[in-house]
Amino acid sequence: MVNWKNVRLIFFRELGDQLRDRRTLFMIIVFPLLLYPGLGIGMLELRLLSFEQPQTVVLWGDQYLPGGDYPPLVQDGRFAKSLFRRPDDASNLHVLTESALKQETDDSEVNDQHLELYQTVRKINAAVAERDKLSAELAEQPADSEQAEQLRARIGELDRQAGRLFNQAKIEGLVIIPRGFARELKEVNRQIAERVDSASAEADYPRPQIIHNSADEKSHITFIRLEGVLDRWEDEILEHRLQSAHLPTNLHRPVQAQSTDLALEEQLNSKIWSQLFPALLVIMSLTGAFYPAIDLGAGEKERGTMETMLICPASRPEIVLGKFLTVMTFSVTTVLLNLISMGLTGLYMASMMDARNLAKMPAPAFPSLVDIGWIILLLIPLAAMFSSLCLALATFARSSKEGQYYLTPLLMATLGMTMFCVFSGFELTEHQMFSVIPVCGVALLLKGLLMSSLSSGPLYVYAIPVLGSTLFYSFLALYWAIEQFKSEDVLFREAERFDLKLWIRHLLRDKEATPSFSEAVICFVLIMMLQFASISASAGADSSAEWMIRALFITQIAVIASPALFMGVMLTTSLVETFKIKWPSWGMLGTAALLAAALHPLSLEWMYQLAPFFPELPASMQEPIQRLMSSKVSWWYLLSAMALAPAICEELAFRGFILSGLRRTGRTWLAIGLSSLAFGFMHMIPQQVFNATILGLVLGMIAVRSNSLLPCCLFHLIYNALAVVNQRQGQQLQELLGNTALIRSEGGQLLYGWPVLLVAGLVAVTLLWKLVKGTLPWNSARQQPMSKPLITTGAGGN
Amino acid sequence: MIHVQNLTKSFADLRRGEVHAVDGISFDAHPGEIFGLLGPNGAGKTTCLRILSTVLRPTSGLAEVAGYDVATHPAKVREHIGFMSGNTGIYDRMTAWELVEYFGRLYGMEEDQLQARLEELFETLQMNEIRDMLGSKMSTGNRQRVSIARTIVHDPPVLIFDEPTSGLDVLVARAVLNTIAGLKEQGKCIIFSTHIMREVEKLCDRIAIIHKGRILAMGTVKELEEKYQEPDMEEVFFDLIQEYEAQLTA
Repeated sequence: MVNWKNVRLIFFRELGDQLRDRRTLFMIIVFPLLLYPGLGIGMLELRLLSFEQPQTVVLWGDQYLPGGDYPPLVQDGRFAKSLFRRPDDASNLHVLTESALKQETDDSEVNDQHLELYQTVRKINAAVAERDKLSAELAEQPADSEQAEQLRARIGELDRQAGRLFNQAKIEGLVIIPRGFARELKEVNRQIAERVDSASAEADYPRPQIIHNSADEKSHITFIRLEGVLDRWEDEILEHRLQSAHLPTNLHRPVQAQSTDLALEEQLNSKIWSQLFPALLVIMSLTGAFYPAIDLGAGEKERGTMETMLICPASRPEIVLGKFLTVMTFSVTTVLLNLISMGLTGLYMASMMDARNLAKMPAPAFPSLVDIGWIILLLIPLAAMFSSLCLALATFARSSKEGQYYLTPLLMATLGMTMFCVFSGFELTEHQMFSVIPVCGVALLLKGLLMSSLSSGPLYVYAIPVLGSTLFYSFLALYWAIEQFKSEDVLFREAERFDLKLWIRHLLRDKEATPSFSEAVICFVLIMMLQFASISASAGADSSAEWMIRALFITQIAVIASPALFMGVMLTTSLVETFKIKWPSWGMLGTAALLAAALHPLSLEWMYQLAPFFPELPASMQEPIQRLMSSKVSWWYLLSAMALAPAICEELAFRGFILSGLRRTGRTWLAIGLSSLAFGFMHMIPQQVFNATILGLVLGMIAVRSNSLLPCCLFHLIYNALAVVNQRQGQQLQELLGNTALIRSEGGQLLYGWPVLLVAGLVAVTLLWKLVKGTLPWNSARQQPMSKPLITTGAGGN
Repeated sequence: MIHVQNLTKSFADLRRGEVHAVDGISFDAHPGEIFGLLGPNGAGKTTCLRILSTVLRPTSGLAEVAGYDVATHPAKVREHIGFMSGNTGIYDRMTAWELVEYFGRLYGMEEDQLQARLEELFETLQMNEIRDMLGSKMSTGNRQRVSIARTIVHDPPVLIFDEPTSGLDVLVARAVLNTIAGLKEQGKCIIFSTHIMREVEKLCDRIAIIHKGRILAMGTVKELEEKYQEPDMEEVFFDLIQEYEAQLTA
């Protein structure tokens, strides 16, 4: 029983302790409160500053601009106001024309700066002209000739020279109007007006150039403005040309599509929020848990106060709960502070933008009360999950530094998952499986809820699986944290250098009858790695039915059975114990066979009912199976590959080596659960992972109760064989018999009618109940309590 | 008060394989007595005391404290003992008063009773000056005093001190030993571990010499000196260890 008074005492102590720690306070509270305003306002100010500061542009060759009735580029010493989207912006570009500069030098008016500028720009102009000439030459040379190489080097040199001069000139942009530009323009206009046939050829004449340096932010902004100005000027010139040729002014826009944006302002706002909030919620709740967890776990070991805590009357679960609540408080607080700080900064920035008449971006508005309610509702289980996970990892660590090593991958993985969910087009309504995946479920649900006006289905129905699964994961993580706190190995781990040679020697020397927990885990990891390798090896290979069957055999033997058998031989002293090579009672064999037969229609049914929940299999994965099923391969060959081989190989690995190893924790139920999860994950396709995990639980129970692998093999054999028969012969059978009360057809798949399901359900429930309770008369492990380890430790063979 | 019988604690070690840190030891300690565990570093003293304080679980054997089995009633055992060792530090970000008060509350003491006890403790241990000082600011001696206050705040019948004077200067060490002697006068059952012979001679009523997880000899200082015909404990100690090592190599 948990004494909540102790939990409360510990919670308040840890909370006070953390509040006295300046580092934690800074990271959790001060940092977010300063970050957004600092970043947001700083960036805004910078942007405003660079936008509002007038930039200097030299217009070289202004004497070649067309005059008369042509639309002017420059008016009253500035670019014409009509060339700006907002006429006031004209004052942001300070224009110095060549003629004005020349006039100053001719009149010998004393302005050294302008004199120098005049000379520098002249040099730039010369360099640019030279560069253009060389570029034209280069275009005519073969690309790999020596001459081309020389030209390229020369052009590079000119670029550098012009760049230096441009920097020296202290201007942000230079527009060069080529010699005779006005004349050429007029000539082409005349030709078009007179409909001269060669007009298209004559239209090829030198164009104005904008010289800028995009590495320099100010010059880059100037360039964008100049481009806009010249574009608009070009439009005006074109209009003038068309008018003088008596052509319609929209001649050059035969299509001119119009767009209509249906987005309401609040939708645009919610789009921003719906991406930012879930990302922030997830990442900040993890960050908020990160530092306090390290301080409360590893930090306590480091400061030598862990044992002080352990000898007080509070039990380990009470200590963990107290610490967990502290971490969670910080996690929740961090998120809320971040959201508030960001929201206020957003509002402030929007008002600044309005005040300065800047280009309007969708103003971030506060989410509604309902949205805030959802955020808080989702935040609590999420923070609980991260808090307990961080606490468990931090407890395992020996020092704060080590704690950071363990927690950083968690942070990275979470970051990746969040970004994927928030910024991809994924929606919960289309990919329901994501609702039970940690982090993804919360991120997608919140994203969907905040954009609710845009999404199709009612989303709140997903709140149940999302909240439920997140709570489930947080309970698991909390349980793990408590386990960590109970483990002497974890609490009193010594800082020992890991020595591979020593470790291998230890493995081979200190063998025990059955594998250890970590050996079981390694076996699973090995199987998964081999499986990935075999997938990538077989990808793209020709896949005839014969070949596929051979591949199935090889996978079962080489990828699944071999690692388990090899590790069993090398690392244990008793193959009989490890692989449960014992003759079971006939009753147990019968039970396994009956269960397999009963679960076959039931599993088909639940998989059919749950199909919409899982992502649809791509055709490339479905097609080979169908091809295999419809091929002319003989029955015994097909059954031995798809039923017999898995029944032996997978059982040796999962109910043999892995389950025996996992049971060494002394918790048989946990071992069964973990082995079934491992068994599920080995199947990799989501549908199969789910189904195999459930069957793994049944198989684990049979293995433990019978203490023999044979009933498991029999179950597996019958279950798989029935599935193969159903897939291969189901349709024909259905066609033969038609829809009866016993069978039905759904989308080309043979399913069973309700009487069959009812009987199967009754049989399965009865047998499973008796298995769980251990009340089957032939239950061989009856005298062996479920909570005792299979083999007691301490039997090491020194 | 303390009853230990055939207690064993083993763990797996990469280098040495299975290690028996405590290897079948038995002893009893009574109220009003200081029972000393004397042994070199790594003899198994700390492991043994950690089992008595329920921080570690025994591999086999029996250990009872104040009538409760450490394996089956760890919470009851923790209520009845005060434990202090080099590994039971004090919190840096808590003042002396707050720390002792916090542990008093964890031990379930009534608030008025606790406040009276705190005043009394801070008076007798001369800690009033450091009442509001944070742990991080304290000297080693002051930290040790806070630790002692924390250990005895709930007035437990059994006290376990694991090398309480290690790392202390002579003055502070003397004060600590005096405090422990005073506690014995109050009728507490005290276990005291050390590797310093003088402390044993001065303080302990009975001692057990422990080496490599086993008790090599047990009795009063006088009994041991007479039995091994040596003038002081240091000689007795060396004799016993040499004899044991000789047996092992033979």
